[in-house]
Amino acid sequence: MEEKIGVYICECGPNIAENVDIGKVINVVSSIPSVEVLERHKLLCSEGGKKFLKQSIQEHGLTRIVIAACSPKQHESTFMRVCEEAGLNPHLFQLVNIREQCAWIIEDKEKATERATRYVRAALRRIPYHQPLEKREIDCNPDVLVIGGGITGIEASLLLAGPDRRVYLVEKTSSLGGKLREFEKLSPSMESTSRLLEQKIRGVEENENIEVYTDGEVKEVLGFLGNFIAVVKTGENEELEIKVGSVAVATGFDLFDPKEVPRYGCGKFDDVYTALEFEKMNAGGKILLKNGQSPKSIAIIHCVGREEKGYCSAVCCAYSLKFARYLKARLPDVKVSNLYSELSVPGKAYQKFYQETKDTGVDFIRAKEIEVEEKAIKYRTEEGKEQNLSADMVILAPAIQPSSDASKLAEMLKISQDGKGFFKEEHEKLGPVSTSMEGIFIAGCAQGPKNVADSLVQAGAVAGKILSSVIPGKKLEPEVRTSEISKALCVGCQTCLEVCAYGAIYFDEIKRVSVVNEILCRGCGNCVASCPSGAISLKHFTATQIHQEVVEALR
Amino acid sequence: MNNGDVLVIGAGIAGIEASLLLAGSGRKVYLIEKSSYIGGNVIKYEHVFSNLECATCMVAPKQQELLENEAIELLTLSEVLDVKGSSGNFVVKVRKRARYVDLVNCIGCNTCFDPCPVSLKNEFEEGLGERKAIYIPCAGALPNVPAIDPENCIRFQGKDCQACKEACMFDAINFDEKDEELELKVGAILVATGFNAFNPNKISQYGYGKFGDVYTAFEFERMFASNGPTEGKILLRNGQSPKSVAILHCIGRKEKGYCSAVCCMYSLKFIHYLKDKLPEVKIYELYSDLCIPGKSYQKFYEEMKEKGADIIRAKEFKVIEEGKGMVIKCIVNGKESSFPMDMVILAPAIEPREDASKLAEVLAIPQDEHGFFQEEPYIPIATPREGVFIAGCAQDPKDIQDSVAQSEAAVGRILATL
Repeated sequence: MEEKIGVYICECGPNIAENVDIGKVINVVSSIPSVEVLERHKLLCSEGGKKFLKQSIQEHGLTRIVIAACSPKQHESTFMRVCEEAGLNPHLFQLVNIREQCAWIIEDKEKATERATRYVRAALRRIPYHQPLEKREIDCNPDVLVIGGGITGIEASLLLAGPDRRVYLVEKTSSLGGKLREFEKLSPSMESTSRLLEQKIRGVEENENIEVYTDGEVKEVLGFLGNFIAVVKTGENEELEIKVGSVAVATGFDLFDPKEVPRYGCGKFDDVYTALEFEKMNAGGKILLKNGQSPKSIAIIHCVGREEKGYCSAVCCAYSLKFARYLKARLPDVKVSNLYSELSVPGKAYQKFYQETKDTGVDFIRAKEIEVEEKAIKYRTEEGKEQNLSADMVILAPAIQPSSDASKLAEMLKISQDGKGFFKEEHEKLGPVSTSMEGIFIAGCAQGPKNVADSLVQAGAVAGKILSSVIPGKKLEPEVRTSEISKALCVGCQTCLEVCAYGAIYFDEIKRVSVVNEILCRGCGNCVASCPSGAISLKHFTATQIHQEVVEALR
Repeated sequence: MNNGDVLVIGAGIAGIEASLLLAGSGRKVYLIEKSSYIGGNVIKYEHVFSNLECATCMVAPKQQELLENEAIELLTLSEVLDVKGSSGNFVVKVRKRARYVDLVNCIGCNTCFDPCPVSLKNEFEEGLGERKAIYIPCAGALPNVPAIDPENCIRFQGKDCQACKEACMFDAINFDEKDEELELKVGAILVATGFNAFNPNKISQYGYGKFGDVYTAFEFERMFASNGPTEGKILLRNGQSPKSVAILHCIGRKEKGYCSAVCCMYSLKFIHYLKDKLPEVKIYELYSDLCIPGKSYQKFYEEMKEKGADIIRAKEFKVIEEGKGMVIKCIVNGKESSFPMDMVILAPAIEPREDASKLAEVLAIPQDEHGFFQEEPYIPIATPREGVFIAGCAQDPKDIQDSVAQSEAAVGRILATL
């Protein structure tokens, strides 16, 4: 078919016209033989401009167009839509930015005109190499696999499950509820945990759209957004194959083991407890020393493992305050001392909680170089003075760390971990529960240390992301500007697998070549740049297209 | 029959995120915004902690997506007057003030600014820069269409001026546009109205308002912003570069009665701002308790410290005049200390919007003792009024990540239940 190319130059009111001699650009372009239509317009993005463009494309039966106007950031999508409406594949269009890159930055009109002409020529040299890229649609399964049956996984399951969306909730222990089962109360409300938890667990049990697998284990997850296949080992040792469209990971946390830091005396002295051990003791109803007597003085040591882990675990200050409340409620005469380094009580409710706890007669001592001894604690004050404090019971507030099996899971799901081993979110600010793998989400302490309220928020956020993107009966439209790998040129070095942030490339062991999963590829171009054999190209940004454009721009 | 449409109040980062997700799910969204632009507080920041990404660049694609999304009806210069009905069937009365500039015809060329004879302090720039009566708050603001501020435009004070209209080549200015009252029918309402900064004027000891070179963190953000009043130059009022800068944390914490959760982190970020522009500057961070919770913030603290700053625990600080300069007096390690300083930056508490009470009344939702909207126990994004949800700093001081998470969670609950 004979190509008919249209060139449209936008004046953008005075914005381009005043500083680029459009007449001159037209003079040069009109001598290029492939140009069928050459028009200037006052404002192409206006309603009138778009109508004119559409009519012109249709009237002349254009097969490709070049528009010289503003930044692609501003109106590329606008003009792509016009192309579609006119029946022209939107990828057979190139936008040349002669506003931001010429008119607005070059004061000398002649130079700006010269530059604009070059850019239009370059686009004209490039446009014959454009390929029409067709939109694709893929089916997508609305069901969800939730890994982890703690409060976060439970909340996500309850929000997600519905008549047209099944949730498969896999919990590795024998019961739902996670670590919260051990807590008597929650800070700062001091409300009973069991009420909150039991109500939610009942909700899960009564929901016929949630399938719970306790003592379960996810053995394998394959596939991509909308079409995952998971293998789940059930409590009865059966292996089930489950098809889902998305996965929520809510595997919680482990506590840092204070035995790693001998000066805290954990394991050495009888009455040194970790926070979880103390929660359990308190929930049992009696706070007693190993010798059966009531403690008279108790020290709560904050920030255990903070230095070793390299981060603040966000929740320890608040639960240490809660422990002081537990103690004062059960043993009104007990002396409670909090040994802390920095008080981290962010948010509207916690300062009051701190103040009220302090007012019950609890001591707060800023201390460093803490050493636990027999029935006593040695520490240094802020001013550097050495002090001793007698304590017949010590409660340690250890850091929150990723679950021991986080790495295994990360590998299976092809999601990243951060330097501390927590699952890494897609974007620190804008994608807190998304991962680089589309369709796989993270929530709760598996993403980073946080309290119950924030974990519930993240569970809700996962539900929000899934409910708004994986919709029953609706197909997915993946990115069309993806990369492709030439089987003939690929040497199988697998460098591309390492640089792909989206897990979109896999290695075909039989043919010994890398293959792109076009559903997952987002067209970032990392693999293209990294391929030593030049085997990878990015659709719409192929080496030929860019080369032709650059050669003409420099001619 | 429940109405699936949703009203989102506030087009900051939380409102934008929620609107995009809701529209993606097939819901019709009415996004109403009090000001003339979208992006809220976030677009005021040049960089955000801890990845030091440019905030405007980070949000711009979302803003663009929002403006292009046909399922989202954006109503700027608008506020809610009245809400009737109940969950699933609310009837909302909205007042939409006139922009006097046509959103379709205007191409955002800014030709209309220069001829405008009015010049006044730009609120967006925290008063550090000026604007005209026809204006956009800052370069890059979206929608890239100016608004006329009738309170300051002399035409609206009876003068026969049409300088902007004469300058406009697209016939985009319409002085006859009228304020409108709209009635919207929606099934759910999400409140994401953000925060204000505590005004340090209320506490005289910090010298704010008394000394020219005592700034709030928000003023300093604009000073560092490349699209701000000094185009990113850090300057004293006398035009010189400061040699010593102190950042005082926790301004207003005692008065407000809570820790604002984000000040330590953005105060640490200021070390990067300062060292980036003034490598030799001496920096003091004076704090009471370091609040840097979470997996990546301690690392940020260490990185900032390494850039070169004295991070000192201090209390009872006051800023006084001594000789010709400013001096910070405070207690460090139990001893009185003083630090002569060229510039002081105050990190003020995050507080509810000035009109939060009014909105709470209109929506019939409770506020907590501090004036933030009160959440339901363990459903931080729900209010006691069914169908009305909250997200972001309107609920509690928090950072961008947590605001985004809350807005996504609000969407989760709306889609799951309504």
